[in-house]
Amino acid sequence: MARSRSYLTVVSIIILVLLVVSIAFFKYNAYLLVSFVIIGCIMLPFFARFEIREIAVREIVLLAMLAAIAAVSRVPFAGLPSVQPTSFVIIMVGLVFGAESGFIVGAVAAVVSNIFLGQGPWTPWQMYAWGMMGMSAGLLRNTWWMGKIWGKCLFGFLWGYLFGWFMNIWMIVSNLENFTWDLFVGIYVASIYFDLAHGLSNVFFLVVFGASWIKILQRFKKKYGLLDAVI
Amino acid sequence: MENGFRGYHPFVLFFYYVCVGVLAMYFNHPLFLLVACLVLIGVNSTHDKGKALKKWIPMLIGMSTIIILVNPFLNSRGTTIFFYFRGKQVTLEATMYGIVMALSLVIILLMFISFNLILNGNKFLFVFSKFLPKTAFLTMLVIRFVPLLKRRFDEINDVQRIRGMTIASGTIRERAKSAMVMLQILLTWSLEEAIETADSMKARGYGIGKRSPYVPYKMDKRDKGWLLTLMLLFSVCIAGGIFGYGKIIIYPELGTLQFYLFDWVMLVCMTLLMSFPLLVEGREQVKWKFSM
Repeated sequence: MARSRSYLTVVSIIILVLLVVSIAFFKYNAYLLVSFVIIGCIMLPFFARFEIREIAVREIVLLAMLAAIAAVSRVPFAGLPSVQPTSFVIIMVGLVFGAESGFIVGAVAAVVSNIFLGQGPWTPWQMYAWGMMGMSAGLLRNTWWMGKIWGKCLFGFLWGYLFGWFMNIWMIVSNLENFTWDLFVGIYVASIYFDLAHGLSNVFFLVVFGASWIKILQRFKKKYGLLDAVI
Repeated sequence: MENGFRGYHPFVLFFYYVCVGVLAMYFNHPLFLLVACLVLIGVNSTHDKGKALKKWIPMLIGMSTIIILVNPFLNSRGTTIFFYFRGKQVTLEATMYGIVMALSLVIILLMFISFNLILNGNKFLFVFSKFLPKTAFLTMLVIRFVPLLKRRFDEINDVQRIRGMTIASGTIRERAKSAMVMLQILLTWSLEEAIETADSMKARGYGIGKRSPYVPYKMDKRDKGWLLTLMLLFSVCIAGGIFGYGKIIIYPELGTLQFYLFDWVMLVCMTLLMSFPLLVEGREQVKWKFSM
């Protein structure tokens, strides 16, 4: 506990220093750069948390396998924009194994699938968006409506939009100098159909696969007593 | 053993890419960006004779043309007005911003093309295993599982085909159903196997002490030398940028594009920094051709 506290203190100091540095150095217009610094800082505590947590071998391998399934399932769908079962797998992990596992699987799946589909400036944003998807699924898993099938579908559908909106913010933040409300509206209008496709495919996968996947994952969790104590 | 630019220590390579990425977003003088762009095209063509670059060229040209053409019409900030289009002003500033933004993005993408060729797989993870050991280890496992899952999926596919369930034919309902069955088989099978992998790791002593990685990279003299040089050049560039060299003011009114003495110094520093791979490869070529 003491160790984790000192780690978090260090992390928060780093964030503060980096933000001050970014204000001092990049006063002209390096918004893209600042946006990277900030997104990196936002994710740092989550990874720090994963680093300091005591985690069994079985759990780490299980998480790796789930992230691999999430990453692989994105590749055959690469031709269809926004339609992929990755989001579904990440939501499932969050629901069964909790918020932290959801975040790690989402973030790692983004990095690994981009090794095959191409890394780019968008990688950290995807990591964060998918990580948050898993995390929120984990945090909300004990609410009464998440237990219902319509609740999960609503959650998946909303995340289709949230994910798209978050990726839009990347485009906007990266050239804030150029910002106008026209541009803002234009980007969000252009993404409506892509986000709809993402949301609907989430709903489709949740309806068709949801129940059986939860059953399979829960059986594993119980059988081997994995990731039980994690929030 | 890899030679040339690839043979350098991953830290040096990673630092080089960080420098290039930061400077591409830091400077916004069009001439700086143009020079950087040309240097990086050169760098890319030394890696694999420009094979990877060729695949990206249509996209790079298309993207930058769209940004340059569309930006002045979407954005009406700025004071120097060219003409009015549907009641909105088309300005010099927005055009210039479009050019700067397009060049900057092209440089970053060029950097990533090179990055994907040079710092792939193990080296990338080696860099991160210093900062985030557990996450890097997890990522390493995931990367190993990807081809495994693909092979397993093919195997399941073969078996299911013989049983008469296939994703290649039938009504959409049937196809979806067999795809679902196959995915579930893959899931359960892989999870069981994952437990076995974990147990075998434990049996071999994983988690007993500190994990000792096999490090095939050694920081030697030339790595340190280059790292120092890169750091020095990078700090000169950043310091110069703070005083406004290498940068132009775009909004609200386009500032001067004129070059002062220090702008030239900055430009030389940046070019030297970015052509690190070119210098290394060039030196090897010279040695290969002219030494006895």
